[in-house]
Amino acid sequence: MAAVYKSLSKSTSKNDKEIDDGKNGAAGGVRKNKQRVLILSSRGVTYRHRHLLNDLAAMLPHGRKDVKFDSKSKLYQLNELAELYNCNNVMFFEARKGKDLYMWFSKVPNGPTVKFHAQNLHTMEELHFTGNCLKGSRPVLSFDATFETEPYLKVIKELFLHVFGVPEGQRKSKPFIDHVMGFSVADGKIWIRNYEIREVDKVKGEGEEEEGDKSNKKRKHEEKETDVSLVEIGPRFVLTPIIIQEGAFGGPIIYENKRFISPNQVRSDLRKAKAGRHNVRQEQQRDALARRRGLGLVDGEGKERDVLDTREVFA
Amino acid sequence: MAKKGVKAATAAPAKKTVAYTKAKKDSDKRKSNEPSVEEIIEDAEEEELEDEEEEDSESGSDDEEGGVDFSKINDINDSDSDSEIEDDDENENDVSKLSNGKEAGSESDSEEDDDSEEEDIDMDELDLDDLDEESKEELKASTRVRQTINNKDALLASLRRIALDTNPKTVPFKFHQSIVSSKPTESAIESVEDELQRELAFLDQSLEAARQARTLLRKEGVSFTRPTDYFAETLRSDETMEKVKAKLIEEATAKKASAEARKQRDLKKFGKQVQIQKQQERAKEKRETLEKINLLKRKRSEGGASALGAREADDLFDVAVDNELGNSHKSAGNKGGKKRSAGDHGPPNAKRQKKDQKYGFGGKKKFSKSNDATSSGDVSEFSSKRMKKGGGAGNGKKFQKAARPGKDRRKAQAGRR
Repeated sequence: MAAVYKSLSKSTSKNDKEIDDGKNGAAGGVRKNKQRVLILSSRGVTYRHRHLLNDLAAMLPHGRKDVKFDSKSKLYQLNELAELYNCNNVMFFEARKGKDLYMWFSKVPNGPTVKFHAQNLHTMEELHFTGNCLKGSRPVLSFDATFETEPYLKVIKELFLHVFGVPEGQRKSKPFIDHVMGFSVADGKIWIRNYEIREVDKVKGEGEEEEGDKSNKKRKHEEKETDVSLVEIGPRFVLTPIIIQEGAFGGPIIYENKRFISPNQVRSDLRKAKAGRHNVRQEQQRDALARRRGLGLVDGEGKERDVLDTREVFA
Repeated sequence: MAKKGVKAATAAPAKKTVAYTKAKKDSDKRKSNEPSVEEIIEDAEEEELEDEEEEDSESGSDDEEGGVDFSKINDINDSDSDSEIEDDDENENDVSKLSNGKEAGSESDSEEDDDSEEEDIDMDELDLDDLDEESKEELKASTRVRQTINNKDALLASLRRIALDTNPKTVPFKFHQSIVSSKPTESAIESVEDELQRELAFLDQSLEAARQARTLLRKEGVSFTRPTDYFAETLRSDETMEKVKAKLIEEATAKKASAEARKQRDLKKFGKQVQIQKQQERAKEKRETLEKINLLKRKRSEGGASALGAREADDLFDVAVDNELGNSHKSAGNKGGKKRSAGDHGPPNAKRQKKDQKYGFGGKKKFSKSNDATSSGDVSEFSSKRMKKGGGAGNGKKFQKAARPGKDRRKAQAGRR
């Protein structure tokens, strides 16, 4: 029966359908936004990293949290892992030296992969903000205009859109929109914030200024109209892009941030600067000693005695 | 591994150019899963890379060595550009390359990743030797400059591969819910160090997005606001919210308490002054009333004596005084006035007044200072402690103070007189 109906409908409105296909077909494949994110960390994360991971996982109903990944060198294994969980995105927290956190965002089957250095981590718990939102509600993603300027930023934006944007109709997602995720670029870094959208009554002065003569309908509409205010929820963190690889956890590097200085370098520079100060002081001391010795101010040794030296004459 | 590498390195550059042409020819025919020449060659390349590092670590940065290495780096860059061309060529080509990359990645990319930092350092050392002044300046600016890779074509290609359609004409907003701000946020931030300003800029960006999103979603008929009776699990648990609330309350109370304490401190500081002022005020009041009384008395004595009888005059005088007192010092004045008016019999005559003045007035004075039952029963002044001490500290001191000075001193005093 269905087949008959299909054939009938096909014959009757072939033209219409074609147009429809032209419209939807192109988007139809894409429009079904199916994203799943594998969220996991390496071993050696600190409690802060772990809490941040938990916060993010709580915000992403399309996320799949997995146990800690055991290797830091064989990251390509993550591809298989993601495939196992039917995930097409991976968010991987790589901790180094028990203090530095690198975050990898990757589209799994065939790239790209972005590696970030995460700084200024503040989890939801430690930030005592008053905001709150439904667990798993779809966020509005607010991107800085700077994201449209550079290709690498475009790639990053797209990745964020896939990872942090909750797909429409996602299971476990709530039907209301009550938070915004802000992505801003400043100082070559990407700053990520999360705000609650709170609807507040519009300032009454505005409403009263308008004359009472105006129609009832409009008034009603205005009563309904509320303004939006934002209250921060957390977490907060800052990402510095380091590299972008073409493949998923592999492939050629197609972008490298030359402004990024690795935390190890920073630390060693600091140490060197400190050591430098010490060295300079030591040198000065040595010089001073040598000078004094030259002037004969140090006991024991000094200028050579000649015949007319005071010490010889009045000996 | 190292031995292999050395062998490969000697032949690598020549091999590579050949290999790429071959690969291009093959790429159309070959399927991604088959092991291929290109793969092997890529392996060789990687080994070559590693080899370079080894060489560098062994021989430091001699000028000649540096030169050689640099040429090799150029080779590597060439290979990159090759890949760009491949990207541009066709999609099929692209896919095959990708899969290839994946395979290669599964074998040895991890090593590459690990080594990438070292690689960079080496390159920097080379740059020092034989690059132009511009790069040297850059080097001065930051201790370490990474190799700049910004392969825009490849980036755009990979973007095209994954991009979701967010065109507002073809796709409803609810599909992606992403908004790009109208102006770059960084322009609103003067310095990134200034937290308040920075956060405000971020907030503004998100607020703009939220407003836009709301209008767009409403237009599309998507429920936006959460109804008040919709309860569901929230992102932050009730416990944490409770904690936050407690923290807020604590802060508020602490602020209040500190304000209170400051007020108290200030009061204490000025308390003494206030007291003195009050005393002065009281003294002034008293002086004024006394002055007024005197003034009235004088007036009476001057003008009133001839016109009125002495008794009447005195009477009036008292009333006038009462009035005056009542005006100036209400409580005291009222008290006196009432007593007078309450008494039925009038004021005593002048003779009686004089006598009262002279001898005192009223009541029996005899035995007024002798003890009676209540006074003898009053032992509030008695202290067993002082009794036990024998004489008592205070008393003893007094006695000692009052004690007679020694003879010499007495004489001296007498002499002084």
